[in-house]
Amino acid sequence: MKVILESKVRKKPTIPIEAEAIIPRNFLKGTDLVVYEGNKERTLSELFWIFVEGTAVSPENIEVVLKGDTSRIKRVGEYMDTGSILISGDIGMHCGNFMSGGTIEILGNADAWLGREMRGGTILCRGNAGHYCATGYRGEKKGMLGGKVEVFGNTGDFCAEYLAGGEVHVHGSTGDFPGIEMRGGQLTIEGDATRPCANMKGGTCVILGKVHEMLPTFERIDRIVLPETKITADVYKGDVANRGKGSLMVKCPGPA
Amino acid sequence: MTELLVRNACVIDPIRGINGEIMDIAIRDGRIVESVSDRAEMIDARRCLTLPGGIDSHTHVCGTKVNFGRYMSPEDMRAGRTRRRGRMHVTSGYYVPTTFGNSYRYSAMGYTTLLEGAMAPLEARHTHEEFTATPHQDMLANTLFDGNWAVMDAVREKNIQKTAAIVGWTLNAVKGYAIKLTNPGGTEAWGWGEDLTSIHEPVRHFEVTPAEIISTMIRANELLRLPHSVHLHCNNLGKPGNYQTTLATFDLVPDLNPDRQTLYATHVQFHAYGGGTWRNICSKAEEITRSINNKPQIVMDMGQIMFCRTMTMTADGPMEFNLHCLHHNKWSNHDVELETGSGIIPVTYSKKSAVNCIMWAIGLELALLTKSPWQCLLETDNPNGAPFVKYPEVIGLLMSKRYRDEECATLHADTEKRTSLHALEREMDWFDIAVMTRAGQAKALGIINQGKGHLGIGAEADIAIYPIRTDSLDPAREYRKVVEGFQKTRYTIKRGRVVSRDGEIIVDGANATFWTNARIPEDLRVDNDPEFIRRFQEFYTVRMSNYPVQEVYLPRGRCVETESFT
Repeated sequence: MKVILESKVRKKPTIPIEAEAIIPRNFLKGTDLVVYEGNKERTLSELFWIFVEGTAVSPENIEVVLKGDTSRIKRVGEYMDTGSILISGDIGMHCGNFMSGGTIEILGNADAWLGREMRGGTILCRGNAGHYCATGYRGEKKGMLGGKVEVFGNTGDFCAEYLAGGEVHVHGSTGDFPGIEMRGGQLTIEGDATRPCANMKGGTCVILGKVHEMLPTFERIDRIVLPETKITADVYKGDVANRGKGSLMVKCPGPA
Repeated sequence: MTELLVRNACVIDPIRGINGEIMDIAIRDGRIVESVSDRAEMIDARRCLTLPGGIDSHTHVCGTKVNFGRYMSPEDMRAGRTRRRGRMHVTSGYYVPTTFGNSYRYSAMGYTTLLEGAMAPLEARHTHEEFTATPHQDMLANTLFDGNWAVMDAVREKNIQKTAAIVGWTLNAVKGYAIKLTNPGGTEAWGWGEDLTSIHEPVRHFEVTPAEIISTMIRANELLRLPHSVHLHCNNLGKPGNYQTTLATFDLVPDLNPDRQTLYATHVQFHAYGGGTWRNICSKAEEITRSINNKPQIVMDMGQIMFCRTMTMTADGPMEFNLHCLHHNKWSNHDVELETGSGIIPVTYSKKSAVNCIMWAIGLELALLTKSPWQCLLETDNPNGAPFVKYPEVIGLLMSKRYRDEECATLHADTEKRTSLHALEREMDWFDIAVMTRAGQAKALGIINQGKGHLGIGAEADIAIYPIRTDSLDPAREYRKVVEGFQKTRYTIKRGRVVSRDGEIIVDGANATFWTNARIPEDLRVDNDPEFIRRFQEFYTVRMSNYPVQEVYLPRGRCVETESFT
């Protein structure tokens, strides 16, 4: 079953929509869902043109497609456990919060907090992602625990903060402090990064671009050739300031 | 003119010595009066337990550190959510709820006055703003002076008058109510990465000891004639063997005031540990209460812990660092310029932990062994020992030996060996509980004259009517009903208006904030002292003229004037 939600033109398009109801499982029983526009309760049909194609007996087979101006829609896919969501444009903050299964694909850019505290499933972002991509919320001890987030563009600051499991792959560059407070999992950054992995406790981070302002609290222990890319990289252990046992691999400067 | 008549109320009013009389209470314009006209609105209390509005004499509900606790715990903000309903705002949080959450839940339990346990003077504005958003309780703010540089300098000079002048000016400037000392000297030492281990150890750079700070502040407090006494969080909180520090501190206290205590020692449970390490920690509640029973000049509160997840927050920075080293959990540490510091970490009190079980037992022992309920008040140091919503359970435990025994059976096996709780037969009665939850607080805080804590003619009409029939309910056996009864009042009346009915808030609140203004002779005033002004301008990041909290931050401020230096 395919559910297409095309956003209607709104009088005040900047007011955010809180749409934690938009997850595939909820469409099994129809499209009569409630979302909030600012502090006003709205039915889904007040804000979207809804088209349903086919039927489904189980939520795995439901695909939700969001079209039109979706850049202010927040919390799409929160607690999603199965099925898929395709977003043809940009998406607002907190997309895929606490998600435990299924797939979200974003063809445009994602705002901050993409895949926050994710447990499983896959998020693909074809554009850029905002700050705090694949992290834990402020004050949370563990961020993402499982699943995969792949961003084809760049991300903002604090990418993969408190990462504790799963995989984050950024094809572009990240901003300040990627992988800060990492506890586990795998972070790969193909572009550049600034001050990566501060106060890291565990996990692995690979940076294939340039590192700006490398922190002095990482101890270089080895130089290896990465098996997949055949790139020579320095291996650091850290963050030694707090007896961390993470490993940070950075591509060697100069010809390799 | 609004009038209200509460009929058939079974009143316990310890300050007036009324114990369970059936009477009517007449209210006009927020005050209790002799009689009202026939047109008055009527409430039938149906012979249910009717008490003066509850008063919490030590809680942490407003201010920067509470707010920090909020942002540190997103999991808690997801925990206790309630929707907007009628007059009620949205709330969230369980152990550090939003301000409205605090206000509604306190109101549902019949509490109408709260004392914020620790307000850093520099952060007073924020605290007062949060007071305004806690609309159903009258608020008072204990103001921190434990590491105040000017005070410590004056203490070193042994100048009680100057100490009093600084305290008086600061309380007036930040609209505080009373003096709070949190780990006196220790918090300043923590600014240098150290802590003090005894009350006779000097603070580096200031060369004053905690004992000197406490003694001088007690005398300065009496010189200012403040309504409340010095409110002390003793040194060495939460360290095994700290009961000796506590006893030594109690021995410093003279009896200087006939109307109330001279020292209020807060959350004494955390200060009554024997032993030397976490492995051999044991209860010294007997020693502490023996001292209290001989010293009418001291009032303490329990600092009871309950088994749950909660957040500890205090101005005692070094203690929180020690806790952080135990738990390796998230931790916040904060320095407030020349005044104090603070630390915040989340904790979970568990029945599997022998230490936690012993702490739980010590709190109850303190209350049961203190002969006069006026000297041991009920609180959990919310949220440090437990969130205040656990108060009804504490009441149940104090009233029922059977409840205590049933709980003890589920605890760590060492509890019985290292405490004497199981041997205590005492069961408190309704009168004792009324003293420990409102009358004792009103007396200790010195707000009886403000019309708080009693139901005499002219008192503020703050009344809590609980769905409890004291004539037919046996608290020793039916303790579950006691707990339920104290969780939700049938009516909470605040200044003559019914604010909460069966736990539902039905009006927008309009609380007041009490603060003290001590009149200080011109020649002693620190704002006329060029040396004080020079040091202020030199060391603070704010100008002295910007430091005082403007009246606009206290839309319903109530000033308590005192005739000091007489």
